[in-house]
Amino acid sequence: MQKFFRFLKSMTFGLILLGIIVIFSVIGSVVPQSQNAMTYVRQFPSFYKIILTCGFDHIFTTWYFIAVTAMLCMNLILCSIIRFRSVVNQKIQTERAAAVPTAVETDEKQRDAVIRALEREHCHRETFAEGTEVYSKNSFGRFGTFFTHLGILLTVVFWAMAMYLPKILDETCYPGESIRLEDGTEIQVDSFSIETDAKLDYKSVINIKLPDGRESGLKEVSVNHPVKMGQYKVYQQTYGTIGHVTVTNEAGASDSFYLETNDLLSADGKNGILYDNLYPDFTEENGQMQVISSTSGSYKNPVYVYTVVEDGQQTEVMLAFPGDVQEIGTFSIHFDDPVEYPGLRIKRSPSWVNICLLLSFMVMTAGLFMTFMMQPVLVTVKKDGYTVLGRQERMRIILNDAVHSTEGEEHHNA
Amino acid sequence: MLDILFFAGLVLYFIAMTGLFVSMVFHQEGLRKISWYIFMAGALAALVYLIIRGVKAGRLPMSNQFEFACSFSWGIAAILIFMHYKLKIEWADSLGAAMTFLILSYAALQPREITELMPALRSAWFGFHIGSAAFSYACFLLAGAAGIRYLLSHKKNPQDPQLEKMDYMIYRLIAVGLLLLTITILSGAIWAEEAWSSFWTWDPKEVWALITWILYAIFLHLRLGRKKKGVFAAWYAIIAVPVVLFTFVGVNTLLPGLHSYGSVIFPYIL
Repeated sequence: MQKFFRFLKSMTFGLILLGIIVIFSVIGSVVPQSQNAMTYVRQFPSFYKIILTCGFDHIFTTWYFIAVTAMLCMNLILCSIIRFRSVVNQKIQTERAAAVPTAVETDEKQRDAVIRALEREHCHRETFAEGTEVYSKNSFGRFGTFFTHLGILLTVVFWAMAMYLPKILDETCYPGESIRLEDGTEIQVDSFSIETDAKLDYKSVINIKLPDGRESGLKEVSVNHPVKMGQYKVYQQTYGTIGHVTVTNEAGASDSFYLETNDLLSADGKNGILYDNLYPDFTEENGQMQVISSTSGSYKNPVYVYTVVEDGQQTEVMLAFPGDVQEIGTFSIHFDDPVEYPGLRIKRSPSWVNICLLLSFMVMTAGLFMTFMMQPVLVTVKKDGYTVLGRQERMRIILNDAVHSTEGEEHHNA
Repeated sequence: MLDILFFAGLVLYFIAMTGLFVSMVFHQEGLRKISWYIFMAGALAALVYLIIRGVKAGRLPMSNQFEFACSFSWGIAAILIFMHYKLKIEWADSLGAAMTFLILSYAALQPREITELMPALRSAWFGFHIGSAAFSYACFLLAGAAGIRYLLSHKKNPQDPQLEKMDYMIYRLIAVGLLLLTITILSGAIWAEEAWSSFWTWDPKEVWALITWILYAIFLHLRLGRKKKGVFAAWYAIIAVPVVLFTFVGVNTLLPGLHSYGSVIFPYIL
């Protein structure tokens, strides 16, 4: 049992788990994720059964991937985090270092070169009996691996929370209208614009109204610049284009409408127009017009297509351009310029999770920086030579070079 | 004018690379020095090219495969020059110059026109995320180059005193590369949350960056914890290079995702 526990907290186990995560990740990047079953049948005719049976189509949410990640977290806790005390105890003890026997013997000239090299490295010096000097620096660097592993552990934990706790809703909304959420929060879309002049950009102006009455005021949402209010964050996600008409009656009163496919514009339910669609462009050949349907790009020459309805009967299919007017009985329908509207992503998440995740990132980066850039240095220099304590390879190489540089000088002098 | 600078850099790198290899094989010190200066001239041409391109575009020149490859290549050159002068390491020059040349050659195969930055890339994180990636990949490639040099020297003379330094340099480059890759991944996560609402989407580029990160993390654990040094470390550094190159080139061309800019998947990022 003890053997098993030792294995669980060993670096070997951690490395095996990392290797398994690499294999799963390769599979997850090669097999498209979260597609419908037919996609795999078409794309992988020989392997689709394995893919679907083993869950390779959603590998990053499978129980075994989560289990491996959980085991890695456990390994991190057992392997690194509980070693905190031993890391603290590794505090550089210069008195003890002074008593260490000499590892590399040097003559006086070489010793001076070693001391000069240590001074160039800005090491702190302490002098002990019999001319023994202990040079040290970066004592705090010993916490590097601890902070790195702690940072990774916290990142995995808060990352999982940041992935699975938020509720995300994708909504489209026409300018002037609003989206009402379950908890009573209201997101009003004031306007939407596509800037094409200098730099292409997509901007919505919105107001977030929380159930407690607080409001964000009119704020601009654009790509990379979400608007945050309370637990909500609103992102500029996509956009669409919709037809728009203004209807005027004989008294001169008017109202405007957004048109959606199969909308019937009628005062009495029998006479009016049945809206079909809005097309971005058209071609004309020999007097024949052909509308162009496209799902992306701008609406260069928008064309409305609708059917006139008379006495409940659909008569003829008609085309209209912005500015055209269709008279139906006592009212007239004016076809306006199409309106562009935003698709917004609304994310609700506890903000403390994001803050904790960002802190985890900082701990991890600081840990790595300390591990590799601030390695602790402890060197004992005695009359007969010096000793580099710990695994400070860089200092070993520097001091070795310093010793050999004096040999070079000797050859030169000779 | 811009194209002339670009190809001048490429040609200078090629001449320098050839000269450095010849000088290495035939021990021609004079040729080595001249070749090194030619390499620096190439790096200067590439830098001027990047600056002018950046000024013309009104942004950092890192927005597509071509610009990233140019920055990546220049990153290798910059680290190599740093190693040469600051750390007095000259044994990496020839292979480092070859890496610089090869990456810039890859750039030469890409479309070179200056395009407008798409809305998703217009962020304060742009330079930080992509710049750290370029330098991180540069460190990993140079570690691979140092690995090749280590094996060649080891084969010639296993007692070569330079071997210890080469071995340490492999470790050091990978350590710095991993730190930079960590910054790349974490800054990318923060940026992704601002742009796409999620810190991580398991997009192929993200996944392969994670794979690269894990591979080098395993290397560092083996080296620091299991004392796997020398020939093993050199081979590891070399074998990991194709993974880095796949993360850089392969993912964008073979595995479409959110990072496949210019593709039809996300016409305006969104």
